[in-house]
Amino acid sequence: MRYIGWTFLIAFWVVLAAFLHYTLPQRDIVRVQGTEIIRQDFSGINRIFYAQADSGNDNAVINRDLRLINTTRANGRVMVYRNEDTGFGWPPYFKLDSSNLQAEAQASVSTRAAPEWYLLTHYGWRNEFLTIYPNAIGLKPHPGPDAPKGLPWLNIIILIVLAALFYGIWVRWRRFRQRRIDPTLEEWQDNWEAAGDAVQKKRGRFRRWLNTWK
Amino acid sequence: MAMVRLFIIVFVVLSIIYISLSFYSRARARDRLEAEWDEGGINMPREAYVRHGLKDYDGSLRRKLILGVYVVPMALVGLIIYLVNFA
Repeated sequence: MRYIGWTFLIAFWVVLAAFLHYTLPQRDIVRVQGTEIIRQDFSGINRIFYAQADSGNDNAVINRDLRLINTTRANGRVMVYRNEDTGFGWPPYFKLDSSNLQAEAQASVSTRAAPEWYLLTHYGWRNEFLTIYPNAIGLKPHPGPDAPKGLPWLNIIILIVLAALFYGIWVRWRRFRQRRIDPTLEEWQDNWEAAGDAVQKKRGRFRRWLNTWK
Repeated sequence: MAMVRLFIIVFVVLSIIYISLSFYSRARARDRLEAEWDEGGINMPREAYVRHGLKDYDGSLRRKLILGVYVVPMALVGLIIYLVNFA
């Protein structure tokens, strides 16, 4: 029983951590190599990792064009970002300017010989097995590949608020359990034990009575 | 349309919060007035004192501040839209 509880608890926190890691913004220092548009045929598995079609368009069609931004990160490895509106859906970035961002990305292209560095804000994961890309949110010029990215203030605030929320719920739940549930359970246990003792006593008497016949 | 859907859902949720909060706040105001009267020194019937105090409460700033339930999230959404798309 204790193992089941632990499994649920660990699974909950792992899912929550993964969810936050996917949803919260992160910043990468990148050199933009180019942009492209590919047609994407979503499958049932990776559909959830893409935004909905633009608000005026047909949502029932399962394929559409996807804007991509090809980059090399400061550590020398390539990274491909998608560039999609989140619109008024989840996650709540309210990003409506994919076309503008694509234009910015096209204007920011530089070569390996003369690199220009940019700070790219994004959320999401790159996964080659699922064919999913992180979604680019913003692009800003950056002094160089080794310059600091700055503190992620937004993430700090969101995580503190979330921690406070969870702590508040936990404290109230614990207080509720101590006041209401624990005494009831103890009462049940006492009654149960008392009943058990009574039965035992009776059985003892019966057995003694049987023994008198020997 | 996603935008219309979002605004409808948000409006419904915020309305529930707003209504609950305003009932709660009014009940708190009533409790406060009753406690004030119970302390003594007020030569007015209890009922009338509470009714009078609640009338004051209905026009108070405290009650209007509950409208922040609508204003704050809307302002936040507006700020996010500005920062993400236009800043």
